[in-house]
Amino acid sequence: MKRIIIDREKCDGCLNCNIACISAHQEGSNFYTVDLQDPDAQARNFIKYDPQKGYLPLFCRHCDQAECVLSCISGALEKDPLTGHVQYDENKCAACYMCVMNCPYGVLKPDNKSRTKLIKCDFCDDKPDDPSCVKACPKKAIAVKEVSL
Amino acid sequence: MKIVIIGASAAGISAAKTIKASEPDTEVVIIAKEDRVHSRCMLHKFLGHQRDAQGISFIADDFFESSGISWLNNTTVIGLDAQNKTVKTHDNQDISYDKLLIASGASYFIPPIPGLRESKNVYGFRDLKDAQLLDRECNTAKDAVVIGAGLVGMDAAVALLERGLKVTVIEMTAAVMSLQLDQKSADAYQQLFEEHGAAFILADKVVSVDVDAVGRGRTIHLASGKAVAADLIVIAAGVRPAFNFTEGSGIATNHAILVGDDLKTNIDDIYAAGDVTGMAGIWPNAMKQGRIAAINMLGEKLLYQDRYALKNTINFFGLTTLSLGNINPQPEEKCQILIREDRNNYQKLVIKNGVVEGVIFQGNIGGSGFWQYLIKNKIDLSAKNKDLFSLSYADFYDQDPATGEYRYAV
Repeated sequence: MKRIIIDREKCDGCLNCNIACISAHQEGSNFYTVDLQDPDAQARNFIKYDPQKGYLPLFCRHCDQAECVLSCISGALEKDPLTGHVQYDENKCAACYMCVMNCPYGVLKPDNKSRTKLIKCDFCDDKPDDPSCVKACPKKAIAVKEVSL
Repeated sequence: MKIVIIGASAAGISAAKTIKASEPDTEVVIIAKEDRVHSRCMLHKFLGHQRDAQGISFIADDFFESSGISWLNNTTVIGLDAQNKTVKTHDNQDISYDKLLIASGASYFIPPIPGLRESKNVYGFRDLKDAQLLDRECNTAKDAVVIGAGLVGMDAAVALLERGLKVTVIEMTAAVMSLQLDQKSADAYQQLFEEHGAAFILADKVVSVDVDAVGRGRTIHLASGKAVAADLIVIAAGVRPAFNFTEGSGIATNHAILVGDDLKTNIDDIYAAGDVTGMAGIWPNAMKQGRIAAINMLGEKLLYQDRYALKNTINFFGLTTLSLGNINPQPEEKCQILIREDRNNYQKLVIKNGVVEGVIFQGNIGGSGFWQYLIKNKIDLSAKNKDLFSLSYADFYDQDPATGEYRYAV
């Protein structure tokens, strides 16, 4: 399956991946028009800074044995047998957030505005080419690679 | 090979999925007493009329057809013959198996309070059938009483409020959801429920119920002397593993079906998973047990080791909470308690000797999943030398270079 591989040494914390993710999920927006004040403007990835180790960009793994899928009470989170990615169906979701609790890497989060849905990486599977975050990274700190599990 | 699964909730369905994904040719038969597959964690959405029965399913519409699983619904298992490897159903079918998974769940429990068990308008809130019976009552009932303010009782209460009933919740302990919350976080929910019309009677006990001429419980008497009127009563005072049909089969039980780490019972070829084992506790663990039992039934070896079950999330009226571990330590445990709060958030960490034992995050719970790993693995954080509230998975980051899968560097 395709996965976003991280090279933390190359990350300079510019947050382009963040903005690109928000924009990709804000219909009709681009890097210049994206509304970051919109309560729905939540990125599916994040970058943490550590004074010793520098920047660390973190992205959903679409885990092989995905804890979020195993914790889902509604069938909203399912592993796509073809892509291997964990896909999320907002209409099925009951917003119980067991998945948020069970994601071992703290990647998942509830939506800020309504607390009725989940903010989760969809690998931009509805868009051509690579995920928006990868395309936006000027340092090539993140790259899509085919991994065998 | 033919695998029979008793039960079609988290553990049973997760097992069936796992079997079919790995060995599509294995014959799988699911026997369930319910009419249709549904998620019991979403019953309140059905009773509250936000979703219909199909809307609280947690499988694809064509799940059984597309995966080639035989589905015997409305079928109760009444006996098990472990020698001849058959199960007997209420309609007198003998169904043979090569391997059997017991995932029959648990049943709600009605405490032996005078008048309560006899009342015809007392319902549990466990299966779709319970919700359907309550749904019918809601068409005429005005006063609803919920006994028990745990998660199930609060789920029932929120749905009954949604239906416009006057709801009174009676609870023995001094706060709502006392297994998951501390006083402050519980008060926040109680207040929200009260704003939506609910009344609470806490630290009190039902002592008797007056039953009317047609057999319906009408007045609920409490230890304090209070009396509460009821048109319908929901009992949410806990559940008991359901395994009556194993009597005489030789399966070892102790208030639950006993299993080893491989989820096998004392009888070869019979496995158990989910609430019937008494160690699932919550949905994610039941799903995981179903998966592990399935893998072992197929001849692989996988152990159930990720047993941590002191965990929950709560979302009522848009107020979300994560609760993990020991959240109400006794003074003699000598735990350190850190609190951080603002007008939208209440966060509490319970720490002992550098190890976080419990967490409550109320409000924003985004990105909090890593705490479970730290708690269940008793990770010593004293060397981190950092504000514990600022921790994230980034502080433990490691990546498998071959697969990019994350690991914990601890």
